[in-house]
Amino acid sequence: MSDDLREPRRTAPLTPVLQGAPAIPFFVVFAIGPGSSFLGDLGLSIVVIAVLGAVVGFVITVVFAWLSWWKRTYYFDDEGDLRVDSGVVQRSSRRLQLSRLQNVDVVSPFLPRLVGLVEVRVEVAGAGDSRVVLRYVTASDGDRLRREILAKSTVPEAAAPEGSSLDLLARVPTGRLLGGLLLRSVTAGLLLASAFFIGITILTQGPVGLVIALATGGLPILIVVGEFLTYFGFTVVRSPEGLRLTYGLLSTQRRTVPADRVHAVALIAPLLWRSRGWVRVQLTIAGLGDDPTRAGRDVLLPVAPRQEALRVIAEVLPGVDLDALPWVSAPARVKWRSPIQGSLLAYAITGAVIAARTGRITRRVQVAPHARVQSVRLSEGPWERRLGLASVHADLAPGPVRVVAHHIDLGTARPLADHEADLARAARNRGLPT
Amino acid sequence: MAANDVDAAFAAPHGMWTPVSPRLATARRILLAMALIPLAAVGVVLGALRVTPGLIAAYAVVSLGVLVWGWWLIGRRVRSFGYAERADDLLVVSGILVRRLVIVPYGRMQLVDLRAGPIDRSLGITTVQLHTAAATTDATIPGLLPLDAAALRDRLASRGEERSAGL
Repeated sequence: MSDDLREPRRTAPLTPVLQGAPAIPFFVVFAIGPGSSFLGDLGLSIVVIAVLGAVVGFVITVVFAWLSWWKRTYYFDDEGDLRVDSGVVQRSSRRLQLSRLQNVDVVSPFLPRLVGLVEVRVEVAGAGDSRVVLRYVTASDGDRLRREILAKSTVPEAAAPEGSSLDLLARVPTGRLLGGLLLRSVTAGLLLASAFFIGITILTQGPVGLVIALATGGLPILIVVGEFLTYFGFTVVRSPEGLRLTYGLLSTQRRTVPADRVHAVALIAPLLWRSRGWVRVQLTIAGLGDDPTRAGRDVLLPVAPRQEALRVIAEVLPGVDLDALPWVSAPARVKWRSPIQGSLLAYAITGAVIAARTGRITRRVQVAPHARVQSVRLSEGPWERRLGLASVHADLAPGPVRVVAHHIDLGTARPLADHEADLARAARNRGLPT
Repeated sequence: MAANDVDAAFAAPHGMWTPVSPRLATARRILLAMALIPLAAVGVVLGALRVTPGLIAAYAVVSLGVLVWGWWLIGRRVRSFGYAERADDLLVVSGILVRRLVIVPYGRMQLVDLRAGPIDRSLGITTVQLHTAAATTDATIPGLLPLDAAALRDRLASRGEERSAGL
């Protein structure tokens, strides 16, 4: 990027080529599939047809992509908002009001990264399609664009860096990531089952065990590999705009988690992680709920030692000590309702948050500030009624975190629900925690 | 555990829950009666297949039993609905088998829906549903008279605006 960002400019010239490349397999399949019946009549061999399909398809796609690239420009207008003009036949000009900025991500997918290009995703608050993806720009342009957008978004704190602006808070080493993914309860169970079925196959020489082993082993391995590629090299850095997460092997993601959009936090500790003291941290982030690309975006730390996780959580839930929550356990008779996790069920209320602890095999501690609780629910099922128990739910924005005080004493349930509703209202009136 | 403890836990904040209209029971019983049609059709088919009369009689007794039970259950379920407006929040109770109570602070309401299907409209009842940013907020008051429903919505909307606090 040469100089002034107010001049309309195009994205990187290699963009059409990179957009054409993924279409090649489709055209090859088309050529040797439906196309070959016609082309085969001309006496062409299958290899020639495939190459022909690839070349023709590639050229066609690149020509169209080039036209759309040629007609697409972006710039900052006089009010300092980002404009994107595009369209070959029908021109459109989109303006992203940066004062309503929600997120700027710089992502490098696999192919563009080979040639040093990245894509920049800009999201602003608003109904409908409020997001623009600039693909592809050079890595340095992407970085500059990101900084420029953040500067123009008048995120107030962004302008005031406090001493060292970028502190490394956490890094997930490759070995721990792989170990953590393999040792998750369901994964480890399925892998163990596969080993068992492979053993049966060897003993009986029958194919049935092997087929089962493929199913029980294949899926978790796919998931482990997928998550390993996604979360590879996970780092958390404190920046003026919020926590900056960077991760990914084939496609690098850079995300910023602004603390004021975090609604709730979950600390998850599977059985086999606990001897090592590892936990996973997930977040409910406002506005992410119905986003189709949400998968993986609610992870704050894929696997980390508890103390490190608590340090990072302290950034998004300031002033909350998760090690010093005043837990109130469910009454002993809960064993008749939840024999396995019963004795671990507990809830805690402090001046700032409501928290719940659940799970025997995979333990979860889920926390939400009172100011984020949308409504409070009291429920009592038939079995709970027999035992004089009831559950209190704190309703939160859509996300992975659920804060429910399960099966507490009936006599305390209604006062707790009323109390939580009062706390939620009071916390909101004081203003949101920052 | 004594039943009055349960009632205490689900008690109205002051005095009584505002009940919903008994017309809701009528609406739901009409739907239940519609279920008679496939049940009767199966009976006719059984008759046409010349199944033993004993079996047909058993079938009739069981289906009628289910209908009568449903009829009675609808009455109880409709009576279980209630709501109460406090200074800062709305409370809604419902359910017999699983009892629920929802507390929705006015400041958290994002929108208030009024709904009425064809049967509801012919009977003159409306459903009021509150939405917050949480999808799990389950605050639905069925079976209000349309005027009451509209008035409730307007009250809720104005209180919501006064106390609105964003997300």
